[in-house]
Amino acid sequence: MIPACPLADLPRGEAFRLEIDPPVSVFHTEDGELFAIDDTCTHQDASLADGWVEGCWVECPLHASKFNLKTGAVDAPPAKRPVRTHEVLVEDGMIYVRLSAATPNLPPCVATKLAGVLA
Amino acid sequence: MTSTSLPDSLIATLPGTSYTDPAIFAQEQECIFETMWFCVARSSELTKPGAFRTVDVGRESILVTRARDNSIRAYFNVCRHRGARLCTEAAGEVKRAFQCPYHAWTYGLDGKLVAAPNLTKMPDVGRTEYGLTPVATREWLGYVWVCLAENPPSFEEDVIGEVVTRLGDAEAIERYGMESLSVGSRITYDVKANWKLIIENFMECYHCATIHPELTEVLPEFADGFAAQYYVGHGAEFGEEVQGFTVDGSAGLDRIPGVAEDQDRRYYAITVKPQVFINLVPDHVIFHRMYPVAVDRTIVECDWLYMPHVVDSGRDVSRSVELFDRVNRQDFDACERTQPGMSSRMYAKGGVLVPSEHHIGAFHDWVHERLGTHQSQ
Ligand code: FES
Ligand code: FES
Ligand SMILES: [Fe+2]
Repeated sequence: MIPACPLADLPRGEAFRLEIDPPVSVFHTEDGELFAIDDTCTHQDASLADGWVEGCWVECPLHASKFNLKTGAVDAPPAKRPVRTHEVLVEDGMIYVRLSAATPNLPPCVATKLAGVLA
Repeated sequence: MTSTSLPDSLIATLPGTSYTDPAIFAQEQECIFETMWFCVARSSELTKPGAFRTVDVGRESILVTRARDNSIRAYFNVCRHRGARLCTEAAGEVKRAFQCPYHAWTYGLDGKLVAAPNLTKMPDVGRTEYGLTPVATREWLGYVWVCLAENPPSFEEDVIGEVVTRLGDAEAIERYGMESLSVGSRITYDVKANWKLIIENFMECYHCATIHPELTEVLPEFADGFAAQYYVGHGAEFGEEVQGFTVDGSAGLDRIPGVAEDQDRRYYAITVKPQVFINLVPDHVIFHRMYPVAVDRTIVECDWLYMPHVVDSGRDVSRSVELFDRVNRQDFDACERTQPGMSSRMYAKGGVLVPSEHHIGAFHDWVHERLGTHQSQ
């Protein structure tokens, strides 16, 4: 379990970006639910934490593909592959994330970097 | 010098080149339009956050919008990445951000850089520092003014001050409650003339009896050729038989309640340099702003403002609008007829101003002063 931030520091409608590799973001929806997904859009290297949350979807700030915060599914191109979802827990006012064991769907340039290959 | 040999009744105008030389126009863009307060839009055009308009101010394209908190914002319409023009439309609406069509740098309505490809890999790129470059804004009379100067001059002195000089005090115009009036009509004119010809025309009434038959019918004192702007606080009185400020003198619309007794049945004209004209009559306000686009071309946008219920109820404002629409066309035709003469060899040293036009000389002095050019007389 990775500690993210105190719940009190994450108001509804905002996101917290965990600077791990690859980064993960915790979203606090307007309805008060908490979700964690991979922060990087699967289309290009954009931070979904900078996107716009509506209901349980986050819209990528660059080309408007939307990801479902519950399932990670993408609604429409240009992004085609889903993001991973991660388990969120709150203990003593602290938000924790349990990372998914699945392989992340990263956009091409980030995937190359993670694989240690020079682009 | 020819000007020293002029008879006492006449004073010289600017030389012809002042109206034809692109280099002089470029100086005016720099020293006048990009330095002074410049009116760009009616506040109500920006209906909600994300509504925007792009306007050329001098040589710059400026993006005017409304942020989430409903405040008016203006920015240089230039992407901070590699300079692409951000918005190419004259007006429109974005949902939540302005996105550059080149590499998708994305800016919030508050100008901050919200997102860009690979931005999280560049944590040293400040979101405000690399946000859109803001421009000073002010709202007054229901209009948005911007100023591109790094240290804008006092709005109170430069803009409100012009109205005070003309009317005696700012209260005189505030009585018309312009910010709460509605736009009943807007007409845009594409005038093939230098912006100064349009100002000079607006400042004098020597031409009124010749080219404005309808206006002179409504305001008989205009026939004597003395401009409505000649005396401080003076408004031209409607003719006795005239019921309203309309093309045929028929009744106008509902009077604006704040208008004082001594302002009733009178027409006041104000020039706010460098590009705004305000015309006040008891039931409406006619508001012109000029957008100079080239040395020989000026776009003029003109609004007719009425009480909101007059516009909302769909009352017929056509005779009211038609009066000043005709005046505008008559004036702009005259300006267009004058523009070609500006490049005539015969007009190289300019023309002359008769006594009822002598106050235009003060405008010419002002132009010289702004450009730092010396006086010829
Ligand atoms: S980067 Fe997310 S849709 Fe293109
Ligand atoms: S020029 Fe605007 S994003 Fe590159
Ligand atoms: Fe006129």
